[in-house]
Amino acid sequence: MSTTRKRRHWRRERLLPYLLLAPALVLLAGMVYPFLLGLYYSFTSYWLQYPNRFRFVWLDNYLSLIEEPLFARALEFTLGFTLAAVVIQVGLGLAVALFLHARIPGRAAIRALMLLPLMIPPVITALMWKIMMGSTNAGILNYLLSFLGVDPVNWFGSTQGAIVSVLIIDTWGNLPFVSLILLGGLQALPTEPYEAARVDGAGPIDILRYVTLPLLSPFIVLVVLFRTMDSLRIFDVIYATTLGGPNDATTNLHIMAYQYSFQWYQMGKGMAQAIVLLILVVIISYLLMRLWNRASESTA
Amino acid sequence: MTAQAVLYQAPQAVSYRRTVRQVAIGVAAVVLLAWTCFPFVWILLTSLKSPGDILSVPPSFVFTPTIDNYAALVMGEQRGQYSSTRPDFPLFFLNSLIISVGAVALSVLAGIPAAYALARFTFPAKNGLAFLLMSFRFVPFIAFVIPLYLLFQTFGLYNTHGGLILAYQLITLPFTIWMLRSFFQEIPLETQEAAMIDGCSWLGVLTRVILPLSMPGIAVTVILGFMFCWNAFNYPLMLAGRQTFPVTVGAIQFISYEQVLWGQMAAATIVAALPQLVLSLMVQKYIVRGLTMGAVK
Repeated sequence: MSTTRKRRHWRRERLLPYLLLAPALVLLAGMVYPFLLGLYYSFTSYWLQYPNRFRFVWLDNYLSLIEEPLFARALEFTLGFTLAAVVIQVGLGLAVALFLHARIPGRAAIRALMLLPLMIPPVITALMWKIMMGSTNAGILNYLLSFLGVDPVNWFGSTQGAIVSVLIIDTWGNLPFVSLILLGGLQALPTEPYEAARVDGAGPIDILRYVTLPLLSPFIVLVVLFRTMDSLRIFDVIYATTLGGPNDATTNLHIMAYQYSFQWYQMGKGMAQAIVLLILVVIISYLLMRLWNRASESTA
Repeated sequence: MTAQAVLYQAPQAVSYRRTVRQVAIGVAAVVLLAWTCFPFVWILLTSLKSPGDILSVPPSFVFTPTIDNYAALVMGEQRGQYSSTRPDFPLFFLNSLIISVGAVALSVLAGIPAAYALARFTFPAKNGLAFLLMSFRFVPFIAFVIPLYLLFQTFGLYNTHGGLILAYQLITLPFTIWMLRSFFQEIPLETQEAAMIDGCSWLGVLTRVILPLSMPGIAVTVILGFMFCWNAFNYPLMLAGRQTFPVTVGAIQFISYEQVLWGQMAAATIVAALPQLVLSLMVQKYIVRGLTMGAVK
Protein backbone atom coordinates (compact mmCIF):
# COMPACT_ATOMS: atom_id res chain seq x y z
CA MET A 1 0.00 0.00 0.00
CA SER A 2 2.49 2.54 1.13
CA THR A 3 5.02 1.57 -1.54
CA THR A 4 2.56 1.97 -4.41
CA ARG A 5 1.44 5.27 -3.03
CA LYS A 6 5.00 6.35 -2.74
CA ARG A 7 5.74 5.26 -6.31
CA ARG A 8 2.75 7.07 -7.75
CA HIS A 9 3.74 10.05 -5.71
CA TRP A 10 7.28 9.87 -7.05
CA ARG A 11 6.12 9.64 -10.65
CA ARG A 12 3.97 12.68 -10.20
CA GLU A 13 6.90 14.44 -8.61
CA ARG A 14 8.95 13.94 -11.74
CA LEU A 15 6.62 16.13 -13.79
CA LEU A 16 5.84 18.47 -10.96
CA PRO A 17 8.93 20.69 -11.06
CA TYR A 18 8.34 21.50 -14.71
CA LEU A 19 4.73 22.35 -13.98
CA LEU A 20 5.82 24.64 -11.19
CA LEU A 21 8.42 26.24 -13.41
CA ALA A 22 6.08 26.73 -16.36
CA PRO A 23 5.05 30.35 -15.72
CA ALA A 24 8.63 31.40 -15.07
CA LEU A 25 9.83 29.49 -18.13
CA VAL A 26 7.33 31.33 -20.33
CA LEU A 27 8.64 34.66 -19.06
CA LEU A 28 12.18 33.37 -19.42
CA ALA A 29 11.53 32.47 -23.03
CA GLY A 30 10.33 36.02 -23.48
CA MET A 31 13.79 37.17 -22.40
CA VAL A 32 15.90 34.64 -24.27
CA TYR A 33 14.07 35.15 -27.56
CA PRO A 34 14.86 38.89 -27.92
CA PHE A 35 18.45 38.16 -27.01
CA LEU A 36 18.79 35.51 -29.72
CA LEU A 37 17.07 37.81 -32.18
CA GLY A 38 19.56 40.51 -31.27
CA LEU A 39 22.42 38.06 -31.70
CA TYR A 40 21.12 37.39 -35.21
CA TYR A 41 20.87 41.11 -35.92
CA SER A 42 24.52 41.49 -34.98
CA PHE A 43 25.35 39.52 -38.14
CA THR A 44 23.19 41.75 -40.33
CA SER A 45 23.38 45.27 -41.73
CA TYR A 46 20.18 46.25 -39.90
CA TRP A 47 19.88 50.04 -40.19
CA LEU A 48 16.51 51.30 -39.01
CA GLN A 49 16.31 54.16 -41.49
CA TYR A 50 17.26 51.99 -44.47
CA PRO A 51 15.22 48.81 -44.09
CA ASN A 52 15.79 47.73 -47.70
CA ARG A 53 19.54 47.53 -47.10
CA PHE A 54 18.96 44.68 -44.65
CA ARG A 55 21.12 41.66 -45.43
CA PHE A 56 23.20 39.04 -43.69
CA VAL A 57 26.79 40.27 -43.50
CA TRP A 58 28.40 37.48 -41.44
CA LEU A 59 31.11 38.94 -39.22
CA ASP A 60 31.37 42.33 -40.93
CA ASN A 61 30.01 44.25 -37.94
CA TYR A 62 32.53 42.61 -35.64
CA LEU A 63 35.49 42.90 -38.02
CA SER A 64 34.77 46.55 -38.79
CA LEU A 65 35.28 47.32 -35.10
CA ILE A 66 38.99 46.64 -35.51
CA GLU A 67 39.32 49.61 -37.84
CA GLU A 68 37.00 51.80 -35.80
CA PRO A 69 39.11 54.27 -33.80
CA LEU A 70 36.28 54.92 -31.34
CA PHE A 71 36.15 51.21 -30.48
CA ALA A 72 39.79 51.12 -29.37
CA ARG A 73 39.22 54.19 -27.19
CA ALA A 74 35.97 52.87 -25.78
CA LEU A 75 37.59 49.53 -24.98
CA GLU A 76 40.48 51.28 -23.31
CA PHE A 77 38.13 53.47 -21.26
CA THR A 78 35.94 50.51 -20.31
CA LEU A 79 38.89 48.54 -18.96
CA GLY A 80 40.70 51.52 -17.47
CA PHE A 81 37.59 52.80 -15.73
CA THR A 82 36.78 49.36 -14.34
CA LEU A 83 40.29 48.90 -12.98
CA ALA A 84 40.32 52.35 -11.38
CA ALA A 85 36.78 52.03 -9.97
CA VAL A 86 37.35 48.57 -8.50
CA VAL A 87 40.73 49.44 -6.95
CA ILE A 88 39.43 52.69 -5.45
CA GLN A 89 36.11 51.29 -4.24
CA VAL A 90 37.48 48.06 -2.79
CA GLY A 91 40.43 49.86 -1.19
CA LEU A 92 38.28 52.56 0.40
CA GLY A 93 35.53 50.04 1.17
CA LEU A 94 37.99 47.87 3.08
CA ALA A 95 39.15 50.90 5.06
CA VAL A 96 35.57 51.87 5.90
CA ALA A 97 34.68 48.29 6.85
CA LEU A 98 37.69 47.99 9.19
CA PHE A 99 36.79 51.38 10.66
CA LEU A 100 33.16 50.43 11.29
CA HIS A 101 34.23 47.04 12.66
CA ALA A 102 36.32 48.70 15.36
CA ARG A 103 33.30 49.33 17.60
CA ILE A 104 33.28 53.07 17.11
CA PRO A 105 30.46 55.06 18.73
CA GLY A 106 27.42 55.59 16.50
CA ARG A 107 28.27 52.66 14.25
CA ALA A 108 24.65 51.60 13.80
CA ALA A 109 23.67 55.12 12.71
CA ILE A 110 26.56 55.40 10.23
CA ARG A 111 25.76 51.96 8.85
CA ALA A 112 22.10 52.90 8.33
CA LEU A 113 23.01 56.19 6.67
CA MET A 114 25.41 54.41 4.33
CA LEU A 115 22.50 52.44 2.91
CA LEU A 116 20.98 55.59 1.47
CA PRO A 117 23.43 56.23 -1.42
CA LEU A 118 23.23 52.53 -2.15
CA MET A 119 19.51 52.36 -2.70
CA ILE A 120 18.61 55.53 -4.56
CA PRO A 121 18.53 55.29 -8.37
CA PRO A 122 22.04 55.65 -9.88
CA VAL A 123 20.74 58.20 -12.35
CA ILE A 124 19.41 60.29 -9.45
CA THR A 125 22.82 60.01 -7.79
CA ALA A 126 24.35 61.32 -11.00
CA LEU A 127 21.93 64.25 -11.12
CA MET A 128 22.61 65.11 -7.46
CA TRP A 129 26.32 65.34 -8.17
CA LYS A 130 25.68 67.22 -11.37
CA ILE A 131 23.88 69.85 -9.30
CA MET A 132 26.79 69.97 -6.84
CA MET A 133 29.39 70.22 -9.59
CA GLY A 134 27.40 72.93 -11.33
CA SER A 135 27.02 73.89 -14.95
CA THR A 136 29.61 76.66 -14.93
CA ASN A 137 31.81 74.91 -12.36
CA ALA A 138 30.57 77.44 -9.81
CA GLY A 139 28.83 74.68 -7.88
CA ILE A 140 29.16 73.96 -4.20
CA LEU A 141 31.85 71.32 -4.76
CA ASN A 142 34.41 73.72 -6.23
CA TYR A 143 33.48 76.20 -3.49
CA LEU A 144 34.20 73.64 -0.76
CA LEU A 145 37.39 72.48 -2.48
CA SER A 146 38.62 76.08 -2.56
CA PHE A 147 38.98 75.92 1.25
CA LEU A 148 41.38 73.02 0.76
CA GLY A 149 43.40 75.09 -1.68
CA VAL A 150 42.18 73.22 -4.76
CA ASP A 151 41.74 75.30 -7.92
CA PRO A 152 38.28 75.18 -9.52
CA VAL A 153 37.89 71.89 -11.37
CA ASN A 154 36.34 71.91 -14.84
CA TRP A 155 34.14 68.92 -14.02
CA PHE A 156 32.38 68.03 -17.22
CA GLY A 157 34.18 70.28 -19.68
CA SER A 158 37.62 68.71 -19.61
CA THR A 159 38.70 65.18 -20.47
CA GLN A 160 40.28 64.48 -17.10
CA GLY A 161 37.58 66.31 -15.19
CA ALA A 162 34.86 64.21 -16.81
CA ILE A 163 36.63 60.93 -16.05
CA VAL A 164 37.23 61.98 -12.43
CA SER A 165 33.60 63.11 -12.11
CA VAL A 166 32.23 59.77 -13.26
CA LEU A 167 34.62 57.94 -10.92
CA ILE A 168 33.58 60.09 -7.95
CA ILE A 169 29.86 59.62 -8.62
CA ASP A 170 30.17 55.88 -9.14
CA THR A 171 32.26 55.57 -5.98
CA TRP A 172 29.76 57.53 -3.89
CA GLY A 173 26.96 55.23 -5.02
CA ASN A 174 28.81 51.95 -4.60
CA LEU A 175 31.24 52.40 -1.73
CA PRO A 176 28.49 51.40 0.76
CA PHE A 177 27.94 48.12 -1.09
CA VAL A 178 31.62 47.17 -0.78
CA SER A 179 31.84 48.40 2.82
CA LEU A 180 28.74 46.56 4.00
CA ILE A 181 29.72 43.22 2.43
CA LEU A 182 33.25 43.44 3.85
CA LEU A 183 31.88 44.54 7.24
CA GLY A 184 29.59 41.50 7.20
CA GLY A 185 32.61 39.36 6.34
CA LEU A 186 34.67 40.81 9.17
CA GLN A 187 31.90 40.15 11.66
CA ALA A 188 31.65 36.53 10.53
CA LEU A 189 35.37 35.76 10.93
CA PRO A 190 36.38 33.19 13.56
CA THR A 191 38.08 34.56 16.68
CA GLU A 192 40.63 31.76 17.28
CA PRO A 193 43.20 32.93 14.71
CA TYR A 194 43.18 36.36 16.34
CA GLU A 195 43.78 34.91 19.78
CA ALA A 196 46.60 32.77 18.41
CA ALA A 197 48.17 35.75 16.66
CA ARG A 198 47.93 37.83 19.82
CA VAL A 199 49.59 35.10 21.87
CA ASP A 200 52.38 35.09 19.29
CA GLY A 201 52.79 38.82 19.88
CA ALA A 202 51.66 40.06 16.48
CA GLY A 203 51.00 43.79 16.12
CA PRO A 204 47.85 45.26 14.54
CA ILE A 205 49.47 45.62 11.09
CA ASP A 206 50.71 42.02 11.12
CA ILE A 207 47.28 40.81 12.21
CA LEU A 208 45.63 42.73 9.38
CA ARG A 209 48.09 41.41 6.82
CA TYR A 210 48.47 37.79 7.91
CA VAL A 211 45.14 37.03 9.61
CA THR A 212 42.35 39.39 8.54
CA LEU A 213 43.06 39.78 4.83
CA PRO A 214 43.59 36.07 4.07
CA LEU A 215 40.44 35.14 6.03
CA LEU A 216 38.49 37.89 4.33
CA SER A 217 39.69 37.01 0.82
CA PRO A 218 36.50 35.20 -0.32
CA PHE A 219 34.51 38.34 0.51
CA ILE A 220 37.06 40.58 -1.18
CA VAL A 221 36.97 38.50 -4.36
CA LEU A 222 33.16 38.54 -4.24
CA VAL A 223 32.92 42.33 -4.08
CA VAL A 224 35.60 42.60 -6.78
CA LEU A 225 33.47 40.27 -8.93
CA PHE A 226 30.26 42.27 -8.46
CA ARG A 227 31.91 45.65 -8.84
CA THR A 228 33.84 44.53 -11.93
CA MET A 229 30.70 43.24 -13.63
CA ASP A 230 28.84 46.46 -12.93
CA SER A 231 31.73 48.81 -13.76
CA LEU A 232 32.29 47.16 -17.14
CA ARG A 233 28.67 47.92 -17.99
CA ILE A 234 28.25 51.32 -16.33
CA PHE A 235 25.71 53.36 -18.27
CA ASP A 236 23.27 55.43 -16.16
CA VAL A 237 25.82 57.72 -14.53
CA ILE A 238 27.69 58.44 -17.77
CA TYR A 239 24.47 58.97 -19.70
CA ALA A 240 23.11 61.47 -17.17
CA THR A 241 26.34 63.45 -16.76
CA THR A 242 28.71 63.44 -19.75
CA LEU A 243 26.89 61.32 -22.36
CA GLY A 244 30.33 59.96 -23.28
CA GLY A 245 32.00 63.33 -23.80
CA PRO A 246 33.88 65.51 -24.00
CA ASN A 247 35.58 64.24 -27.15
CA ASP A 248 34.46 60.69 -26.35
CA ALA A 249 36.64 60.73 -23.23
CA THR A 250 34.02 58.90 -21.17
CA THR A 251 32.58 56.74 -23.94
CA ASN A 252 32.71 53.12 -22.84
CA LEU A 253 31.52 50.16 -24.91
CA HIS A 254 28.03 50.41 -23.46
CA ILE A 255 27.64 54.09 -24.37
CA MET A 256 29.16 53.41 -27.79
CA ALA A 257 26.67 50.61 -28.50
CA TYR A 258 23.88 52.95 -27.36
CA GLN A 259 25.08 55.70 -29.71
CA TYR A 260 25.29 53.37 -32.68
CA SER A 261 21.86 51.86 -32.08
CA PHE A 262 19.76 54.71 -30.69
CA GLN A 263 21.37 57.83 -32.10
CA TRP A 264 22.40 56.56 -35.52
CA TYR A 265 19.93 53.63 -35.61
CA GLN A 266 22.56 51.16 -36.85
CA MET A 267 21.01 48.28 -34.93
CA GLY A 268 23.29 45.61 -36.41
CA LYS A 269 26.49 47.40 -35.46
CA GLY A 270 25.17 48.44 -32.06
CA MET A 271 24.17 44.87 -31.33
CA ALA A 272 27.60 43.55 -32.36
CA GLN A 273 29.20 46.00 -29.91
CA ALA A 274 26.80 44.86 -27.19
CA ILE A 275 27.84 41.24 -27.83
CA VAL A 276 31.54 42.17 -27.66
CA LEU A 277 30.89 43.85 -24.31
CA LEU A 278 28.99 40.77 -23.12
CA ILE A 279 31.88 38.49 -24.11
CA LEU A 280 34.27 40.76 -22.23
CA VAL A 281 32.06 40.64 -19.13
CA VAL A 282 31.71 36.85 -19.33
CA ILE A 283 35.46 36.22 -19.71
CA ILE A 284 36.41 38.54 -16.85
CA SER A 285 33.65 37.22 -14.57
CA TYR A 286 34.66 33.64 -15.33
CA LEU A 287 38.25 34.34 -14.32
CA LEU A 288 37.10 36.08 -11.14
CA MET A 289 34.69 33.26 -10.28
CA ARG A 290 37.49 30.71 -10.54
CA LEU A 291 39.46 32.92 -8.21
CA TRP A 292 36.44 33.05 -5.86
CA ASN A 293 36.13 29.27 -5.80
CA ARG A 294 39.81 28.94 -5.00
CA ALA A 295 39.57 31.62 -2.29
CA SER A 296 36.57 30.01 -0.61
CA GLU A 297 38.13 26.56 -0.80
CA SER A 298 41.38 27.66 0.76
CA THR A 299 39.63 29.28 3.72
CA ALA A 300 36.92 26.66 4.18
CA MET B 1 34.11 40.86 17.65
CA THR B 2 35.77 39.89 20.91
CA ALA B 3 39.17 39.63 19.29
CA GLN B 4 38.75 43.08 17.87
CA ALA B 5 37.66 44.45 21.19
CA VAL B 6 40.81 43.13 22.83
CA LEU B 7 42.86 44.45 19.94
CA TYR B 8 41.64 47.99 20.17
CA GLN B 9 41.29 48.41 23.90
CA ALA B 10 44.70 47.52 25.21
CA PRO B 11 44.46 48.30 28.94
CA GLN B 12 48.02 49.68 29.12
CA ALA B 13 47.29 52.34 26.49
CA VAL B 14 49.00 55.59 27.34
CA SER B 15 46.36 58.30 27.78
CA TYR B 16 48.07 60.58 25.24
CA ARG B 17 47.97 57.89 22.54
CA ARG B 18 44.40 57.22 23.49
CA THR B 19 43.44 60.85 22.93
CA VAL B 20 45.15 60.90 19.53
CA ARG B 21 43.30 57.75 18.60
CA GLN B 22 39.96 59.16 19.69
CA VAL B 23 40.51 62.36 17.75
CA ALA B 24 41.48 60.36 14.66
CA ILE B 25 38.36 58.20 14.99
CA GLY B 26 36.23 61.30 15.43
CA VAL B 27 37.70 62.96 12.34
CA ALA B 28 37.25 59.80 10.27
CA ALA B 29 33.64 59.46 11.41
CA VAL B 30 32.91 63.08 10.51
CA VAL B 31 34.52 62.70 7.07
CA LEU B 32 32.55 59.52 6.40
CA LEU B 33 29.27 61.11 7.50
CA ALA B 34 29.90 64.28 5.50
CA TRP B 35 30.77 62.29 2.37
CA THR B 36 27.60 60.22 2.74
CA CYS B 37 25.13 62.88 3.83
CA PHE B 38 26.28 66.17 2.38
CA PRO B 39 24.91 65.52 -1.15
CA PHE B 40 21.46 64.88 0.34
CA VAL B 41 21.63 68.01 2.49
CA TRP B 42 22.76 70.15 -0.42
CA ILE B 43 20.13 68.85 -2.82
CA LEU B 44 17.45 69.42 -0.18
CA LEU B 45 18.67 73.01 0.23
CA THR B 46 18.83 73.51 -3.54
CA SER B 47 15.28 72.26 -3.90
CA LEU B 48 14.12 74.98 -1.48
CA LYS B 49 15.91 77.81 -3.29
CA SER B 50 14.69 80.34 -5.79
CA PRO B 51 16.56 80.46 -9.14
CA GLY B 52 18.55 83.51 -8.01
CA ASP B 53 19.77 81.77 -4.85
CA ILE B 54 20.73 78.63 -6.77
CA LEU B 55 23.05 80.48 -9.11
CA SER B 56 24.57 82.81 -6.50
CA VAL B 57 28.35 82.84 -6.25
CA PRO B 58 29.57 81.86 -3.72
CA PRO B 59 26.83 79.30 -3.00
CA SER B 60 24.49 80.50 -0.31
CA PHE B 61 23.72 78.51 2.81
CA VAL B 62 21.38 81.15 4.21
CA PHE B 63 18.42 82.09 2.05
CA THR B 64 14.66 82.50 2.15
CA PRO B 65 13.25 79.02 1.52
CA THR B 66 10.53 78.64 -1.07
CA ILE B 67 8.34 75.73 -2.04
CA ASP B 68 8.03 77.00 -5.62
CA ASN B 69 10.07 74.10 -7.01
CA TYR B 70 7.85 71.50 -5.38
CA ALA B 71 4.74 73.40 -6.38
CA ALA B 72 5.91 73.48 -10.01
CA LEU B 73 6.63 69.75 -9.77
CA VAL B 74 3.15 68.95 -8.50
CA MET B 75 1.49 71.23 -11.02
CA GLY B 76 3.57 69.51 -13.67
CA GLU B 77 4.30 72.68 -15.56
CA GLN B 78 7.02 75.21 -16.09
CA ARG B 79 5.40 78.55 -15.43
CA GLY B 80 5.30 79.78 -18.99
CA GLN B 81 8.62 79.96 -20.80
CA TYR B 82 10.56 77.07 -22.34
CA SER B 83 7.75 74.98 -23.66
CA SER B 84 10.08 72.20 -24.82
CA THR B 85 10.54 71.07 -21.23
CA ARG B 86 7.30 70.34 -19.51
CA PRO B 87 7.98 67.30 -17.39
CA ASP B 88 4.72 65.97 -15.99
CA PHE B 89 6.18 64.71 -12.75
CA PRO B 90 3.00 63.48 -11.01
CA LEU B 91 2.38 61.31 -14.07
CA PHE B 92 5.96 60.00 -13.95
CA PHE B 93 5.53 59.13 -10.28
CA LEU B 94 2.32 57.27 -11.02
CA ASN B 95 4.03 55.45 -13.93
CA SER B 96 6.86 54.35 -11.64
CA LEU B 97 4.32 52.97 -9.18
CA ILE B 98 2.27 51.14 -11.81
CA ILE B 99 5.25 49.58 -13.56
CA SER B 100 7.11 48.63 -10.37
CA VAL B 101 4.08 47.11 -8.65
CA GLY B 102 3.06 45.27 -11.82
CA ALA B 103 6.53 43.92 -12.50
CA VAL B 104 7.01 42.72 -8.92
CA ALA B 105 3.54 41.12 -8.78
CA LEU B 106 4.17 39.20 -12.00
CA SER B 107 7.62 38.10 -10.86
CA VAL B 108 6.40 36.93 -7.46
CA LEU B 109 3.46 35.00 -8.93
CA ALA B 110 5.71 33.20 -11.41
CA GLY B 111 8.66 33.11 -9.03
CA ILE B 112 7.11 31.37 -5.99
CA PRO B 113 6.39 28.04 -7.72
CA ALA B 114 9.66 28.26 -9.67
CA ALA B 115 11.69 28.93 -6.54
CA TYR B 116 9.88 26.07 -4.78
CA ALA B 117 10.79 23.74 -7.66
CA LEU B 118 14.43 24.83 -7.60
CA ALA B 119 14.67 24.62 -3.82
CA ARG B 120 12.97 21.27 -3.21
CA PHE B 121 13.08 19.04 -6.29
CA THR B 122 15.90 17.46 -8.19
CA PHE B 123 15.42 17.26 -11.91
CA PRO B 124 17.65 17.37 -14.95
CA ALA B 125 18.55 20.87 -16.13
CA LYS B 126 18.02 22.23 -12.63
CA ASN B 127 21.50 23.67 -12.23
CA GLY B 128 21.54 24.85 -15.82
CA LEU B 129 18.32 26.73 -15.24
CA ALA B 130 19.57 28.31 -12.04
CA PHE B 131 22.72 29.40 -13.84
CA LEU B 132 20.74 30.77 -16.79
CA LEU B 133 18.72 32.89 -14.37
CA MET B 134 21.85 34.16 -12.68
CA SER B 135 23.49 34.91 -16.02
CA PHE B 136 20.94 37.63 -16.75
CA ARG B 137 22.85 39.71 -14.25
CA PHE B 138 25.88 39.67 -16.58
CA VAL B 139 24.23 40.83 -19.78
CA PRO B 140 24.61 44.51 -20.72
CA PHE B 141 21.10 45.93 -20.93
CA ILE B 142 21.70 47.24 -24.46
CA ALA B 143 21.88 43.66 -25.74
CA PHE B 144 18.25 43.21 -24.63
CA VAL B 145 16.97 46.66 -25.33
CA ILE B 146 17.88 46.79 -29.04
CA PRO B 147 15.78 43.74 -30.00
CA LEU B 148 13.10 44.62 -27.43
CA TYR B 149 12.78 48.10 -28.93
CA LEU B 150 12.24 46.62 -32.39
CA LEU B 151 9.84 43.93 -31.13
CA PHE B 152 7.87 46.42 -29.03
CA GLN B 153 7.45 48.70 -32.04
CA THR B 154 6.09 45.78 -34.03
CA PHE B 155 3.71 44.48 -31.39
CA GLY B 156 2.45 47.81 -30.08
CA LEU B 157 4.11 47.37 -26.70
CA TYR B 158 6.33 50.43 -27.09
CA ASN B 159 5.40 53.20 -24.68
CA THR B 160 2.91 51.05 -22.74
CA HIS B 161 2.87 50.04 -19.09
CA GLY B 162 2.36 46.40 -20.05
CA GLY B 163 5.43 46.38 -22.27
CA LEU B 164 7.55 47.92 -19.54
CA ILE B 165 6.27 45.43 -16.97
CA LEU B 166 7.37 42.63 -19.30
CA ALA B 167 10.77 44.27 -19.93
CA TYR B 168 11.26 44.75 -16.17
CA GLN B 169 11.04 40.98 -15.74
CA LEU B 170 14.69 41.04 -16.79
CA ILE B 171 15.37 42.90 -13.56
CA THR B 172 12.94 41.24 -11.17
CA LEU B 173 12.36 37.65 -12.24
CA PRO B 174 15.90 36.22 -11.85
CA PHE B 175 16.29 38.20 -8.64
CA THR B 176 12.96 37.03 -7.23
CA ILE B 177 13.59 33.36 -7.99
CA TRP B 178 17.09 33.39 -6.53
CA MET B 179 16.05 35.25 -3.41
CA LEU B 180 12.95 33.14 -2.76
CA ARG B 181 14.93 29.96 -3.37
CA SER B 182 17.49 31.00 -0.77
CA PHE B 183 14.68 31.72 1.74
CA PHE B 184 12.82 28.47 0.95
CA GLN B 185 16.01 26.47 1.42
CA GLU B 186 16.31 27.81 4.95
CA ILE B 187 13.13 26.00 5.98
CA PRO B 188 14.14 22.66 7.49
CA LEU B 189 13.31 19.69 5.27
CA GLU B 190 11.93 17.77 8.28
CA THR B 191 9.08 20.25 8.66
CA GLN B 192 7.99 19.61 5.09
CA GLU B 193 8.38 15.84 5.38
CA ALA B 194 6.29 15.88 8.53
CA ALA B 195 3.55 17.75 6.67
CA MET B 196 3.72 15.22 3.83
CA ILE B 197 3.37 12.33 6.27
CA ASP B 198 0.35 14.10 7.73
CA GLY B 199 -1.23 13.92 4.27
CA CYS B 200 -0.31 17.23 2.74
CA SER B 201 0.17 17.30 -1.01
CA TRP B 202 3.02 19.31 -2.54
CA LEU B 203 0.56 22.15 -2.87
CA GLY B 204 -0.33 21.83 0.79
CA VAL B 205 3.33 21.93 1.72
CA LEU B 206 3.79 25.06 -0.34
CA THR B 207 0.73 26.92 0.91
CA ARG B 208 0.61 25.66 4.51
CA VAL B 209 4.28 25.29 5.38
CA ILE B 210 6.61 27.10 3.01
CA LEU B 211 4.65 30.29 2.38
CA PRO B 212 3.66 31.03 6.00
CA LEU B 213 7.17 30.30 7.24
CA SER B 214 8.89 32.40 4.58
CA MET B 215 6.53 35.38 4.72
CA PRO B 216 9.27 37.71 6.00
CA GLY B 217 11.52 36.52 3.18
CA ILE B 218 8.82 37.10 0.60
CA ALA B 219 8.18 40.57 2.01
CA VAL B 220 11.87 41.41 1.77
CA THR B 221 12.00 40.09 -1.80
CA VAL B 222 8.96 42.15 -2.78
CA ILE B 223 10.34 45.35 -1.26
CA LEU B 224 13.80 44.92 -2.77
CA GLY B 225 12.33 43.98 -6.15
CA PHE B 226 10.18 47.10 -6.00
CA MET B 227 13.24 49.19 -5.22
CA PHE B 228 15.20 47.75 -8.15
CA CYS B 229 12.28 48.54 -10.46
CA TRP B 230 12.06 52.04 -9.05
CA ASN B 231 15.78 52.49 -9.79
CA ALA B 232 15.48 51.22 -13.37
CA PHE B 233 16.55 53.75 -15.94
CA ASN B 234 17.93 52.01 -19.05
CA TYR B 235 14.90 50.05 -20.14
CA PRO B 236 12.34 52.85 -19.79
CA LEU B 237 14.78 55.30 -21.41
CA MET B 238 14.47 53.35 -24.65
CA LEU B 239 11.12 51.57 -24.30
CA ALA B 240 8.93 54.27 -22.72
CA GLY B 241 7.58 57.51 -24.13
CA ARG B 242 6.36 60.73 -22.54
CA GLN B 243 3.15 59.07 -21.32
CA THR B 244 4.94 56.18 -19.58
CA PHE B 245 8.25 57.67 -18.33
CA PRO B 246 9.03 56.69 -14.73
CA VAL B 247 10.62 59.17 -12.31
CA THR B 248 14.18 58.17 -13.21
CA VAL B 249 13.78 59.10 -16.85
CA GLY B 250 11.48 61.96 -15.86
CA ALA B 251 14.16 63.58 -13.71
CA ILE B 252 16.54 64.08 -16.64
CA GLN B 253 13.81 65.89 -18.55
CA PHE B 254 14.68 68.99 -16.54
CA ILE B 255 17.82 69.29 -18.64
CA SER B 256 17.06 70.82 -22.02
CA TYR B 257 18.91 72.69 -24.72
CA GLU B 258 17.75 76.03 -23.39
CA GLN B 259 18.55 75.56 -19.73
CA VAL B 260 18.80 73.27 -16.76
CA LEU B 261 15.99 73.74 -14.25
CA TRP B 262 18.25 73.11 -11.26
CA GLY B 263 15.69 73.83 -8.56
CA GLN B 264 12.99 71.63 -10.00
CA MET B 265 15.50 68.93 -10.83
CA ALA B 266 16.66 68.97 -7.20
CA ALA B 267 13.05 68.74 -6.02
CA ALA B 268 12.48 65.90 -8.48
CA THR B 269 15.52 63.95 -7.26
CA ILE B 270 14.30 64.32 -3.66
CA VAL B 271 10.84 63.06 -4.59
CA ALA B 272 12.26 60.25 -6.74
CA ALA B 273 14.60 59.12 -3.96
CA LEU B 274 12.09 59.42 -1.12
CA PRO B 275 10.39 56.00 -1.42
CA GLN B 276 13.82 54.40 -1.60
CA LEU B 277 15.00 56.13 1.55
CA VAL B 278 11.97 54.94 3.49
CA LEU B 279 12.01 51.40 2.11
CA SER B 280 15.76 50.93 2.52
CA LEU B 281 15.45 51.60 6.24
CA MET B 282 12.71 48.96 6.42
CA VAL B 283 14.79 46.21 4.85
CA GLN B 284 18.28 47.34 5.85
CA LYS B 285 19.25 43.94 7.26
CA TYR B 286 18.59 42.28 3.92
CA ILE B 287 19.95 44.78 1.40
CA VAL B 288 23.33 43.12 1.02
CA ARG B 289 21.67 39.76 0.54
CA GLY B 290 19.40 41.26 -2.10
CA LEU B 291 22.18 42.98 -4.00
CA THR B 292 24.14 39.74 -4.26
CA MET B 293 21.05 37.68 -5.19
CA GLY B 294 21.30 35.72 -1.97
CA ALA B 295 25.02 34.95 -2.29
CA VAL B 296 25.92 36.84 0.90
CA LYS B 297 23.56 36.48 3.85
